[in-house]
Amino acid sequence: MNGEIDRSWRDPELLVKALPSVILQTAFFLAPLLMTVALTFQRTKNFQLTWTWSLDTWTDIFTKPHYWTILGHTLFMAITCVILCLVIAFPVAYALATRLRAFQDHVKVLITFAFLTDATLKTFGWVLFLDKNGAANYLLQQVGFPPATIDILFTDWATMLGMVYNLLSFAIFTIYLSIDAIDRSLILAAYDAGASKFRTFWEVTLPLARPGIWAASVLIFLLAVGVFLEPKVLGGGKSPMSAELIRQTFETRVNWPLGAALTLVLMTVAVFVVLLFNRVYSLKRHMGPV
Amino acid sequence: MAGEPILEIRDIRKNFGAYQALKGVSLSVQQGEFIALVGPSGCGKTTLLKQIAGFEEPDSGSLSIAGQPMLGVPAAARPTSMVFQKLALFPHMTVADNIGFPLKLRKVDPAIIAKRVEAMIELMQLKREYLTRYPRQLSGGEQQRVALARSMISEPKLLLLDEPLSALDVKLKKVLQAELKRLHRSVGVTFVHVTHDLEEAIMLADRICVMRSGEILQVGGPNDIYYRPADSFVAGFIGDTNLLAVTVKGNAVSAPGLTAADPTVPAQYVAPGLGDGPALLMVRPELITPLESGQVADFTIDVTITEIFCKGGTVQFRSNTEGGAPLIFELPGASKQPADIGDKLRLGFPKRDIYLFRERVAA
Amino acid sequence: MAYPTPTPWMNAKTEAQLAGVLLYGSVAAVLIFFYVPIFTLIAFSFQEGRYPTLPFEGVSLKWYGALFENSGARDALWNSTIIAVVATVFATVIGSAAAIVAVRYKFRFRLPFTGLSAAPLAFPQLLLGIVLLLWFSVLGRAFDFNTGLVTAIIGHVVYITPFALVIVAVQVFNFDATLEDAARDCGATTFEVYRYVTLPLLWPGIFSAGIFAFLLSWGNFYLTYSLAGSTRTLPTFVFSGIATGSSPLYPAIATVVFIPGILLVILADRMRRKAA
Repeated sequence: MNGEIDRSWRDPELLVKALPSVILQTAFFLAPLLMTVALTFQRTKNFQLTWTWSLDTWTDIFTKPHYWTILGHTLFMAITCVILCLVIAFPVAYALATRLRAFQDHVKVLITFAFLTDATLKTFGWVLFLDKNGAANYLLQQVGFPPATIDILFTDWATMLGMVYNLLSFAIFTIYLSIDAIDRSLILAAYDAGASKFRTFWEVTLPLARPGIWAASVLIFLLAVGVFLEPKVLGGGKSPMSAELIRQTFETRVNWPLGAALTLVLMTVAVFVVLLFNRVYSLKRHMGPV
Repeated sequence: MAGEPILEIRDIRKNFGAYQALKGVSLSVQQGEFIALVGPSGCGKTTLLKQIAGFEEPDSGSLSIAGQPMLGVPAAARPTSMVFQKLALFPHMTVADNIGFPLKLRKVDPAIIAKRVEAMIELMQLKREYLTRYPRQLSGGEQQRVALARSMISEPKLLLLDEPLSALDVKLKKVLQAELKRLHRSVGVTFVHVTHDLEEAIMLADRICVMRSGEILQVGGPNDIYYRPADSFVAGFIGDTNLLAVTVKGNAVSAPGLTAADPTVPAQYVAPGLGDGPALLMVRPELITPLESGQVADFTIDVTITEIFCKGGTVQFRSNTEGGAPLIFELPGASKQPADIGDKLRLGFPKRDIYLFRERVAA
Repeated sequence: MAYPTPTPWMNAKTEAQLAGVLLYGSVAAVLIFFYVPIFTLIAFSFQEGRYPTLPFEGVSLKWYGALFENSGARDALWNSTIIAVVATVFATVIGSAAAIVAVRYKFRFRLPFTGLSAAPLAFPQLLLGIVLLLWFSVLGRAFDFNTGLVTAIIGHVVYITPFALVIVAVQVFNFDATLEDAARDCGATTFEVYRYVTLPLLWPGIFSAGIFAFLLSWGNFYLTYSLAGSTRTLPTFVFSGIATGSSPLYPAIATVVFIPGILLVILADRMRRKAA
């Protein structure tokens, strides 16, 4: 809105407010990240880090396909999760922004609460629900299904369910905000021009909601490549994803350089994928819909 | 009006990067005056007001209020008070808290604040029950009065008004203009009123200061501005007017199609310092009348009507002279219309109330 | 000539009905989806028997009793509270200040500042935990300390501050800066402008940021798991429970964890409604 104030970056009033955040994120985000980079060039001996510079870790990573298979699996799961989240979240966000006048606030509170509840607990809840002897199968059996109709616990399906479950709220809120910001008169103008509701949605609402959809995709993707809980608890650790591999590297193998390097590879690849999609996305926007 | 000016501005300059918002502005305002700063958006009028209020500091120049130098003094410590364009009423405070806020900051006893707030409410002709309401529960005009009350409660030496009426509908605007005038008379505080509406300025102010591109073009009373504009910019700034390109030689004017028995113009209708050469002759549309055959006027000119607008009380005719220059004239709406589009007419206007001045000065 | 009226691909009534079913249906489905595990947990916490499976052997509160007799669970409850309260205060204060800077001021390093301040938002928590764990291990070796409550709090603050920043930023964005000018014009000092105008007007945003921060910290698992050393909070306590074999004790703990969330979300909603 109005009132952006020109200030020198040395202005004391500005520094008082800016410095705590700068110091916090420099000391406990940026510095650790940089150190992680440095760590990848060190060696370990007998589970002990020795500060000797070497490229061993990187040679290891680039020669073993095992790491890359897991990374590929991780990216596949993350992208699938993004698509599922978008497909599920969009109608919900749309309904929140345009319908549900009386219940809008209540639904928002319900979603917020579910979002703010710890993922571990909810994931644990899913285990109890999906288990062969769990709540779902018990209820299904009561209405006549054979025992163990739902047998997805400890598979990738369960992992995906958990990922979508834990990340869906991000998509709903981000898309909701972008739809909510659309000028209502544009939609009325489309109706006025003779467009049906569906056409209006397709040609006006959806394009205008694009920034929200894009932001949601990036956020979910970046968070999804780092999931650890879902593959471990719901997927039973059978097909580990990158984060789990990193975890094991640190905890069981106590190989810090390798763990750090795997962390960097994961982050770099994730950012690269985002940039790649961004490029495709902006190209498409420049050339118009084909 | 003699004596120490309440506000003395000398050669104030203010740049925003490469943009010169104020290019050396000087102005002095007398105690109790109602002065209007007028100009199109971007002319520097609001910037000038912000320097006076102390929200911004000029790059150079001097500014004193009641003889006290003010540069470097923060807004809070200046004896000025501002009514903001968007009013800037605090949405989280009641009307009473809003009005009393300046006194609260001055650590005035709450009982006295309450009394003063009630007095202000009365002065502004607001209802007492509004005291406990929030600004958003009031109408636009009422909010305006609350903003005025808040600005006046600390008894400032200067009341600065930053286009406070610009967002209101025409009818309410008229009411509040009258209100401002009454308020100014009754409290005797000096008002500095910024507006882009010259008609509003002429209605309200004792003196008008017309600005453009960070400079003051003319300072004068309403009649000076209306009848004796400094240049074509000022002349064109209020409503419709006619500016005929003429050539001056001695005291006589000539232009294609313009005839006169005696083409000399009395010195009182000529801008000071205007020499021979090209000039503009300003004649207000309401002074021009169509001539029946045989009728005479000081100046006559033949035109062809191009458009006719009904303006309520008056009818406006647009026409072209034989030289191709546009000419506008207005007649009372009720009178018999003398012409239709395409008709040729002979028009006349008197020497009285015309004005001869130079072309727009380069910015 | 007149153009024909555009022909819709289905009649308007069918279209509206279909849209209604799809939209309301999706909301209902998602709400059910969100609450399946939550209700499952709550339900199993009342199970009388030893295992969290159906059918119920009976309904009882005995696991809640066991919860308060279990010293591990009690410690976890206490640690969760300490961490959440401290992290909330820091994250809200730092995040609110940073939000004002990021939205209100134009200055040379605005973009890097905003980028750095908000970056952890898009960083997977687990990796943040690992990177910080490495950092604290190296620092800990140099300055001789172990990970524990304090390192967990720092991790939470790093992670939650950007959330607070974003929430408050929305409020700052809708804040009319001329109100501050007006206050100054009324005679307010910088401090008084903050006290009487800026903070009261930003308060709804700061308040929701605080609630959000508290709940994010209260329920956080990843960072605590990585950074708290041997200190357990409720979520990590539950996680260890999943690993060692289930008992309705853990659903009971989970339900306890839900309580402040429910209360705070309802409170925040009340406040917002009152303000509107």
